[in-house]
Amino acid sequence: MTAGRILFVAGLNHRTAPVEVREQLALEEEKIREILGDLAGRGLLDEVMIISTCNRVEVYGVAAVPGEARTAAFGRLGSHRGLHWRDLEPLVYTVTGDEAALHAFRVAASLDSMILGEPQILGQVKDAFALAQSAGTVGPVLHALMSQAFGAAKRVRTETEIGRLAVSVSYAAVELARKIFDGLEGKAVLLVGAGEMSELAARHLVDNGALPLYVSNRTWSRAQELARGLGGTAVPFDQLAATLSLVDIVVTSTAAPEPIITVAQVRAALEKRRTRPLFFIDIAVPRNVEPAVNDVENAFCYDIDDLRSVVEANLKERQREALRAQTLLEGEVVKFAGRLQQLEVVPTIVSLREKLEAIRRAELERALGRLPGAGEETRRVMEALSQAIVNKMLHAPMVKLKDSSRAGHARRWTEMISELFGLRGSGRPDSQE
Amino acid sequence: MNAVLYDVALTAYILAAAAAIGSLFGRRDQLAWVALLLTQAGWICHTAAVVARGLELGRLPFMTMPEVISLVIWAAVLLDFWIERRHRVRPLSAFVLPVVLALGLGLPTGLRSIALDTPVRSGWIMVHVALVLVGLAALVLNFGIALMYLVRERQLRHKRTGALHRRLPPLETLDRLAVGTLTIGFPFLTVGLALGVLSAPAAWGSLLTFDPLALFSLMMWVIYAATLLGRVMGQWGGRRAAYYAIAGFCVLLATLSAGVFLHGRHGS
Repeated sequence: MTAGRILFVAGLNHRTAPVEVREQLALEEEKIREILGDLAGRGLLDEVMIISTCNRVEVYGVAAVPGEARTAAFGRLGSHRGLHWRDLEPLVYTVTGDEAALHAFRVAASLDSMILGEPQILGQVKDAFALAQSAGTVGPVLHALMSQAFGAAKRVRTETEIGRLAVSVSYAAVELARKIFDGLEGKAVLLVGAGEMSELAARHLVDNGALPLYVSNRTWSRAQELARGLGGTAVPFDQLAATLSLVDIVVTSTAAPEPIITVAQVRAALEKRRTRPLFFIDIAVPRNVEPAVNDVENAFCYDIDDLRSVVEANLKERQREALRAQTLLEGEVVKFAGRLQQLEVVPTIVSLREKLEAIRRAELERALGRLPGAGEETRRVMEALSQAIVNKMLHAPMVKLKDSSRAGHARRWTEMISELFGLRGSGRPDSQE
Repeated sequence: MNAVLYDVALTAYILAAAAAIGSLFGRRDQLAWVALLLTQAGWICHTAAVVARGLELGRLPFMTMPEVISLVIWAAVLLDFWIERRHRVRPLSAFVLPVVLALGLGLPTGLRSIALDTPVRSGWIMVHVALVLVGLAALVLNFGIALMYLVRERQLRHKRTGALHRRLPPLETLDRLAVGTLTIGFPFLTVGLALGVLSAPAAWGSLLTFDPLALFSLMMWVIYAATLLGRVMGQWGGRRAAYYAIAGFCVLLATLSAGVFLHGRHGS
């Protein structure tokens, strides 16, 4: 980092801290804005942003002494609910430099999430960044870090399959339906019985274009109530068999002790459907659909265990994809390190150029002052001459600085050049502010 | 020249088939891209081979049986491109290219050693050949899609969760494409065969001369007609229709080999 300023991340998440602690640190936006301003104002941190979600509370900052900055930040965060730093300390992890960048990228790309690849975290990181920007606590380093993190997260999403496979039973049902049907638009759904998972599955199907939705329940009033809640049509329980021929997807979750949908009923329904497939999602235990239905041509039946094994396979696939994503992010960290080093030499290059330009102008003025009779031609030649001298002299040090930033020892050279040319306050990020 | 180009095209198809099959089981899309590029390269060489042959011989390059099969392959690959693009059934070539290869490699060493008998050059015969050719190409696709359907159906039935399950397109899409290719292929085949029957007396002197190819063609036509009828009646769909598509295609293969290897009036 520039002249002893260190990028760090300090925080706690679902792996290191119990929910009782996390919930006490989760603060609303206004409080965070206040804390950001307060921390920046104390001068311990050059730049700071805070991510606060139900699974993580993290401070991203640039400071001369990350340990001090971290203590101050968490002391401030905990003070709202009376949590002391000494209670938090064992739960808080701190990483600096490249590791901090990698951590930031992993968080944004959802590799650090409780459910690998879940899509919400990127939005939460973006919100946290926007909040810090509006609080005025973001500088060039965090800006570079976050813009790269967002790009890296997008790459992970498009170049790996980490977010593509369903990892909940209800989404797995939708994913399977997509393997049977040519799109879900206009596919009729029948929901039999009530239950959180089955209602969620029905809702996901409808959200993906399935229509119309029929709802059936042994209790008529409950069927009507469910139908109202989900925007469907209630169907009397004794007309279940007749409804089978009208729908494409059946979700069952009743508490019936015996199967309520039999092979004979399915065969009869399929006869009327000609050759269109019928998909049963049986979330009930004991099962609501006779298992032999799965042997009927054009009928497919997945029970809760089948769905769970799909989810498990998908989770394993996400873990494999996470390994690929990790390699991709490590490449991004190398790129980020390069960007930071360039960030580091830019102020020196700018002030060196400014200094020489100022000298050139002053000397040119003086020289022209001594030549009152100089014509337009003379002035132009002198202007060009002075500019050429400055540019040629600047060339070698500029190349050296840029090379050194690429090679990773920019600091030595920025200090040397600042010293040699007597540049004021260069080599520190705040010299530009 | 055309024989060399044809060999290059076949080699590209072989490699493409291997890549396409690999892509079915792999996690990455790269292999699928390799397969697509190789198929495209092969197809371009194939086109060049057909044109070169036409120029070298100074006549239309679909007058002998091997030439016709070569053009069936050419049209089938073209149809494969179109279906994969239009309907996003990406690994279709994994099912179509092996069939294409079976046809292509079945030809006696490319097109080199084929005796160039004086073909019958009636205008109607050429229309007959052209129509049958398009029909056969569509049926090659129909077969590939039927195979894919059966694999997809098995994956769902046995609740598989592997790469193949994730790669294959939806069951309904495949069934729809099977119907589509059959409805394209069948009319071409019917009109083409009918023209053949009608112009046979003019070409051969009599209608009822024994010709193995003509007999097999009739059998093939009956099977496809029955499949289409079954579908229209709404009785045969899905798995059963897929089995019929495969049966029809076996007869189609027999028909073509009869045309190439048995000595009949279609000759070679």
